[in-house]
Amino acid sequence: MRVKYVLSEVLVGLWRNVTMTIAMIITMAVSLTMLGASGLIYTKVADMKDLYFERIEVSIFLEKDVSEQQRTDIAAKLDSDPLIRDVTYVNKDEAYKRFQEMFRDSPDLLSVVKADQLPESYRLKLVNPAEYKAVSDQYSTIEGVDQVVDQSRVLDKIFNLFTAGQNIALVAAIAMAIAALLLVANTIQVAAYSKRREVAVMKLVGASNWFIQAPFVLEAVVAGLIGSVVGLIALIGLKQFLFDGALSTLQGLFAPVTWGEVFLTFPVMAGVGGLISAVTAWVTLRFYLRV
Amino acid sequence: MTKTYPKASRPSLDNVSVSIEKGEFVFFIGPSGSGKSTIIKLLLHEVTPNKGRVVVNSKDVTSMRSWKRPHFRRSIGCVFQDFRLLPNRTAYENVAFALEVIGKTKAVARRVVPEVLELVGLGGKEHRYPHELSGGEQQRVAVARAFVNRPLILLADEPTGNLDPDTSIEIMRLLDRINRTGTTVVMVTHDSNIVNQMRRRVIEIESGRIVRDQARGVYG
Repeated sequence: MRVKYVLSEVLVGLWRNVTMTIAMIITMAVSLTMLGASGLIYTKVADMKDLYFERIEVSIFLEKDVSEQQRTDIAAKLDSDPLIRDVTYVNKDEAYKRFQEMFRDSPDLLSVVKADQLPESYRLKLVNPAEYKAVSDQYSTIEGVDQVVDQSRVLDKIFNLFTAGQNIALVAAIAMAIAALLLVANTIQVAAYSKRREVAVMKLVGASNWFIQAPFVLEAVVAGLIGSVVGLIALIGLKQFLFDGALSTLQGLFAPVTWGEVFLTFPVMAGVGGLISAVTAWVTLRFYLRV
Repeated sequence: MTKTYPKASRPSLDNVSVSIEKGEFVFFIGPSGSGKSTIIKLLLHEVTPNKGRVVVNSKDVTSMRSWKRPHFRRSIGCVFQDFRLLPNRTAYENVAFALEVIGKTKAVARRVVPEVLELVGLGGKEHRYPHELSGGEQQRVAVARAFVNRPLILLADEPTGNLDPDTSIEIMRLLDRINRTGTTVVMVTHDSNIVNQMRRRVIEIESGRIVRDQARGVYG
């Protein structure tokens, strides 16, 4: 009976103040979507760092007119260098094959570039990718070396971009969470005011505190949970239409986001949404009802 | 026992000591601001005294934790000048509400509520809303609600303040009947007519002090 009473009070409460309820759900949903997206970016960036740094190389490109002697000197120096784990020599033919592989979708570019135009190079795997600077300084001045290129430099820029995106999403999530929090507090105040007579009678006849508070707290929690469901739908939409749709051409660049990962954010969103709502409602009632 | 409200220059109740026996009918009288209503608040554990002790139903409520208050209040019924009924519920629903929110089942309410409404003389008007009832009838609903849980004590804060003399006397007859079932009745009033007619124990308060405590007293 009491459970049924509390539940019907929750529904009546949500419906009586339906515009406020919708506002509460929307802010909650946007906040949780941002939070979910930020969480996904965070795990993806970590995945991608592992993935990329495993394959990362420092390339030493040789000058076009490099002599046989210079080349063997460089090779010997590289072989004995303790900073370097592994060396691969890429000749012009192989460089062209890689080039064809990389730009197979752009036949125009392929038809213009000849194998002869591509430089020979040594591809190095460093013992510690962070020691790029030392390697670069050492080899860039040697006769016959054109350029030393470190892929991690480029990657760092990309990852910085991701981290910035993640931070923006996180800040937006927090800002929206504050707005949602204030809306919950206000909604609960309005609800408590519209039920002030009932509450006064309940306090008078000795209804327990949880029984008086439960409908209000649950009202907020239900709104928070609905908000998290809407947030999940938004994330599904983002994956379906943005990530798998508009951005699908960039897919090789990103670690793929699986459906499993999208759905795994739901418990987190629901937990955060429900908890924030419940705590806010409860604290508001402490001040407002003094029960 | 002394109660001083914060920011008040003098105590609302100053060194007051009263003992009310089980089953008594007591009037607290005195001018406005004399501290009568503070007594009701102390008995309900709405406020606590600054000095001394308040004992209700042999329980010391002076230092009672607030989470124990709800259960404590179930042994006290309360009636007010302004009835405090829920306007969107019928007489029956108003009384049943008081039972349901303390965990009684609908079945219990169906058995007990018509009984108590009959007792207060509202048989046949169970399904009227408060605005369809006269002031006296509304106060009867309030009394029914206060009494439905069979409390040990019934507190009445100027229950006749909004009623005409004839209706007031009917409400007093009702409170008298409830008192005869063994329920202690504590009533705060400044209705001299009623006090004089009832001839019960009268405690007069002035400026927070008891100036008279008289069995079978009059308004004075």
